[in-house]
Amino acid sequence: MQYDLIIIGAGPAGLASAIYATRYKLKTIVFGKELGGQAVHAYKIENYPGFKLISGQELMKKMQEQVKSLGIKISEEKVIDITKIKEKKEKNNFIVSTHNKKYEAKTIILALGTERKKLNLPNEDKFLGKGVSYCATCDTPFFKNKIVAVVGGSNAAVMSALLLAEYAKKVYVIYRGKELGAEPLRIEQLKKNKKIKIIYNTEIKAIQGKNFVESIMLNNKKSKENKKIVLQGVFIEIGFIPLSYLAKKLSIKTNKEGFILTNQLMETSIKGAFAAGDCIVKPLRQIITAASDGAIASYSAYSYLKEGE
Amino acid sequence: MKIKVYSTSTCPWCDKLKHWLKEHKIEFEDIDVSQNMEVAQEMVKKSGQMGVPVTEINDEIIVGFDINKLKKALKIK
Repeated sequence: MQYDLIIIGAGPAGLASAIYATRYKLKTIVFGKELGGQAVHAYKIENYPGFKLISGQELMKKMQEQVKSLGIKISEEKVIDITKIKEKKEKNNFIVSTHNKKYEAKTIILALGTERKKLNLPNEDKFLGKGVSYCATCDTPFFKNKIVAVVGGSNAAVMSALLLAEYAKKVYVIYRGKELGAEPLRIEQLKKNKKIKIIYNTEIKAIQGKNFVESIMLNNKKSKENKKIVLQGVFIEIGFIPLSYLAKKLSIKTNKEGFILTNQLMETSIKGAFAAGDCIVKPLRQIITAASDGAIASYSAYSYLKEGE
Repeated sequence: MKIKVYSTSTCPWCDKLKHWLKEHKIEFEDIDVSQNMEVAQEMVKKSGQMGVPVTEINDEIIVGFDINKLKKALKIK
């Protein structure tokens, strides 16, 4: 079957693209292994217009329902390859391959998202689920009355610390910089919370324990002093790396870190291929900006298809 | 077959797992570990770790939403 548009990714960018694609009557299919994307891990969203307070899980469920109600299929098949057909035509189609099938499309939108960055410490994998976590939203209840640390200084880190403080006895926020990078409103809440202690200019050097995490070793970058903290949980929130593996298959231009380069129209370096959401180079990665990218990308795909018609 | 799912209401993977079980018409007992610290500890003891979801099928423990392991344990093709 040939599609006008194949969207890869079912987070806010991909789902917003799909909604807009129906406005332009584009024959569309969405591929997404992780429905809702990273947004489902946000336990509290208070900055998406129309919802004073909603959980990421709930908001993304609503977006999915909206897409499905418009008659667009969301397939959970994993996309393993994308190629561009090489013909001597001005606009060549794309072939999107999953393990079982090949799909052809005139345009594609890469809404590939990101994955969590790891600290790359020796024991990090060993203690996964045994005190090391990348998802405060998921694992917080296990740390009731325990001592935990959040590593990182971004919005996600601050949100995790605030959530953990509802359960844990004490929450350390360990940040290598001297000023947190989160929204000022959140930082204020963090500083007011008596259970939370922020440790600046500090890196985590080791995670220690027998079967479960028992302590961490910190190093202050300024004083060069080491300090051991006894605790039971380490939540790692040090940012994201783009899932741009599929973009590389098409030799789409990315920056050094692998984020896809786009222009205002969400066009990539390959004609007919657009990108949207957290996987592109942009100043603010939020649900609302991802949705906005998605809308523009579908508009651009539509304009591209209409060109020269 | 007795099936228990240890989960929390805020965990996206738990939601997916439960949805998947329902799709396959498999009945299970849903245990919210955030509401009960004793069962949370019981789950940690059984699974040797603190992440949810954990599925208990007879005596087998499956950590995470591991479709292949779940299919095998539930004899789903």
